[in-house]
Amino acid sequence: MRDEELRNLAAACAKCGTCRTVCTLYPERKAEISVARGKIALIDAALSGRDGNLGAIEGALSDCLLCGRCERACPNQVLVEEILMKGRADIAKEIGLPAWKRLLFGKVMPSPGIRAAATAAATAAQRLLAKSIPTGSGLHYRFPEAFGLSGRTLPGFSAKGFIASLAPGEAATGDVMLFVGCVFDHVYPQIGRASYETMKASGKEIAVFRDAACCGLPAMASGDRDSALRCAEENVRRLRAAAPSSVVFPCGSCLVMFRRNLLTLIPETHPLRGDAAWVSGRCIDYASFILDSGVAESLPDPSGSGGDGKIGYHDSCHLSGTLGKGREAREVLRAAAGPAFAEMPGADLCCGYGGAFNVRDYATSSRIGENKVSLAARGGTGVIATACSGCILQMRDMAAHVQPSMRVAHIAELVFASLSRR
Amino acid sequence: MDERAISALREIFGERLKDSLEDRICYSFDATGKEFLPDAVAFPLTAEEVRRTVLLANEFRFPVIPRGAGSGFSGGSLPVRGGVVLSLERMDRILSIDTENLVAVVEPGVVTETLKEEAKKRGLFYPPDPASLKFCTIGGNLAECAGGMCAVKYGVTRDYVLGLEAVLGTGELLRTGVYTVKGVVGYDLTRMLVGSEGTLGIITKATLKLIPLPESAATLLAFFRTNGEGARAVAGIVEERITPCAMEMMDRTAIDCVREIADLPVPGDAGCALLIEVDGPEASVSQEAGRVRAACSRFGATEVRLSTDAAGREKLWELRRSISPAIRRVNPVKINEDIVVPRSRLPVMYDFLSDLAARKNLKIVNFGHAGDGNIHVNIMISGKDEDERRRADDAVEEVFRKTVELGGTISGEHGIGIAKAPFLEMEVGPLGVSVMKRLKDCFDPNGILNPGKIFVSESAARP
Repeated sequence: MRDEELRNLAAACAKCGTCRTVCTLYPERKAEISVARGKIALIDAALSGRDGNLGAIEGALSDCLLCGRCERACPNQVLVEEILMKGRADIAKEIGLPAWKRLLFGKVMPSPGIRAAATAAATAAQRLLAKSIPTGSGLHYRFPEAFGLSGRTLPGFSAKGFIASLAPGEAATGDVMLFVGCVFDHVYPQIGRASYETMKASGKEIAVFRDAACCGLPAMASGDRDSALRCAEENVRRLRAAAPSSVVFPCGSCLVMFRRNLLTLIPETHPLRGDAAWVSGRCIDYASFILDSGVAESLPDPSGSGGDGKIGYHDSCHLSGTLGKGREAREVLRAAAGPAFAEMPGADLCCGYGGAFNVRDYATSSRIGENKVSLAARGGTGVIATACSGCILQMRDMAAHVQPSMRVAHIAELVFASLSRR
Repeated sequence: MDERAISALREIFGERLKDSLEDRICYSFDATGKEFLPDAVAFPLTAEEVRRTVLLANEFRFPVIPRGAGSGFSGGSLPVRGGVVLSLERMDRILSIDTENLVAVVEPGVVTETLKEEAKKRGLFYPPDPASLKFCTIGGNLAECAGGMCAVKYGVTRDYVLGLEAVLGTGELLRTGVYTVKGVVGYDLTRMLVGSEGTLGIITKATLKLIPLPESAATLLAFFRTNGEGARAVAGIVEERITPCAMEMMDRTAIDCVREIADLPVPGDAGCALLIEVDGPEASVSQEAGRVRAACSRFGATEVRLSTDAAGREKLWELRRSISPAIRRVNPVKINEDIVVPRSRLPVMYDFLSDLAARKNLKIVNFGHAGDGNIHVNIMISGKDEDERRRADDAVEEVFRKTVELGGTISGEHGIGIAKAPFLEMEVGPLGVSVMKRLKDCFDPNGILNPGKIFVSESAARP
């Protein structure tokens, strides 16, 4: 394996050990192989040929939530996320992706048409396999043990996604573009809807980005750079042509892909580089839009609506950590929920989802997530609000394990509820 | 390593024995950046498992290398001759904090900050504060006798150890020391083990002394035009009969690294900065802070900032904390020495260092714990130039000679490991080395524990 750029990125690591203090996974594994400096040592060994077992190294690199804490804590500003994603991509080039990842990322995600068909197929399969679980948590089905997904609760894929539910011509044009994202389109269309309706309250024309490709983060994180690049190219081309003044993201992970990863994926030499920078610079988080467009201050006075201190905010690693947008989301919550919002214990702990990590090691992902939800519940929180699709998938699943009464909501849903009181 | 030895180890540790190449690579390094591959890594949970490992090592003759968090700067936890790395990070329980006798009993894998925090919750204080305190372990601190910023007032790890439990190189489990403030029963085996870098025994339990938590603190940041002024101010503060709990000095080379960082306003003419902290009862803190401020001004400080609240103090500390990460902008490779000279000789040492940098055409960044005479001399090199590397090696040797000549010591808190083994005799002399080796034979007759460390004849790479 050769990659001079990756070698230089990895060489910045001084092996000081600071990453041990913040790693979400380290308390679970208690071994260097789980933390950034161990993984960087492995990448270095692969690059220098000292370790040729790329399959084993791939396994070690995948054992990571990409929560980014190590990168933010690193005194030498080592770009850990970039190193891990590049490392996974280089290895995938040499030995290929694991089959299940290839299926999911290579075929399904870049094209909206294929994605819709895949969702329909998944819905059918799920009906066949599912068992109902009696909770009101929004999680309707459980995959059987035979699926190797023991104990997992999955949301019912809606038969009709948010975008499909729009009337012809509805939300077709507008200066502000809403990037719904796969999960809030297909899995939780009501969140897509709440985002759209609350953004409309600004009085601005909102266009929904109907023919969006997947943001590409799941593919990029898994080392499938080609699929990620295809997603990015499609999105950049279409967004540049639509020329909105801003693109608004209800999901922090989709946003991190556009704000940060787009430009590492589309290098200086790429013909779309200029357009990618143009697009990236216009991408903002949902909360910032709600604040800046005046929606937040137009909400009815939330005091006296009861439930003081019942609503907590969960810091998505991507949104609060990488992008530093935790304050904006909280301001929106304060405007929408007033005294019902209070800081919950462990607000900034990772939910343990990590995308493909959750599929790869559900047991560990669950321990981290269950701890998160239990901690919030013990602190008196009844609703966890956040603004990232992965965190919502994970915490709804975890709440079903340990705290079925816990509601996990997107901040847009709370803004929507507040608007309907107006 | 003998296949039978690996099987026997697997019987002890089961899944907690790792011998895949990937796991071994992850335990081949520490903060020196050097790498030596172990044959296996084991994660013991009990002293008994440690003991059985050392017994096996005597039977099959493989090296055993104890390791805490691998944050050391002298190579103490590097498996330079292969063997089994015993990673003690999973023996991480605080067994008791006795608020009546002010004693904590801990396992070696407890992270230093965790102990400090737990003590603090009870109004108690475990002072040692090495820069890596957020991740380094008590076991590693004991083995290397870690210091830190507050050593000037509170001393180092050694000063807080009452007793130890350790597995010797023979596989015997030794208990040393006391659970009391006093104790003079026979030789001080506790202190023998502290700073022995895992070459005499593997510490499996420690009895530590705690003290009451100081009530309040004040932080001052003073800027001077020259090192000479700064160094004289340090002496002046000592003359005032004040013992600060931190007195950090940054020379021009260090300040230059952080000058451009926007939210750290540094006066344009600053050639030296002193960060001073005093702690204790509120009344005495404000009185001492005033006297420190006056002393700084008297010795030519162009500006003195003072803060007593947590947020303001943290802001002042930022300048000092920003240096370590920022110095890599000077050059990518850092040769990091931690010499100590008697406080009064600091001005001489600083002059020597700036002259040395000019003579050898090297970039040397100096900062450190001026209160105790400890200077972190960082020779920053590109790492790509053979001649530069040779000049740096020469410079290190000159720094050590000068240090010893001034009555100082070549390592204040990092230890000898492999990094300073060639210079051990320069400081302790041939008889010193010989007595140390005789002691080593007594604790570890077969040379099982952490071979290749401290002594130069042992430093050769594995056969």
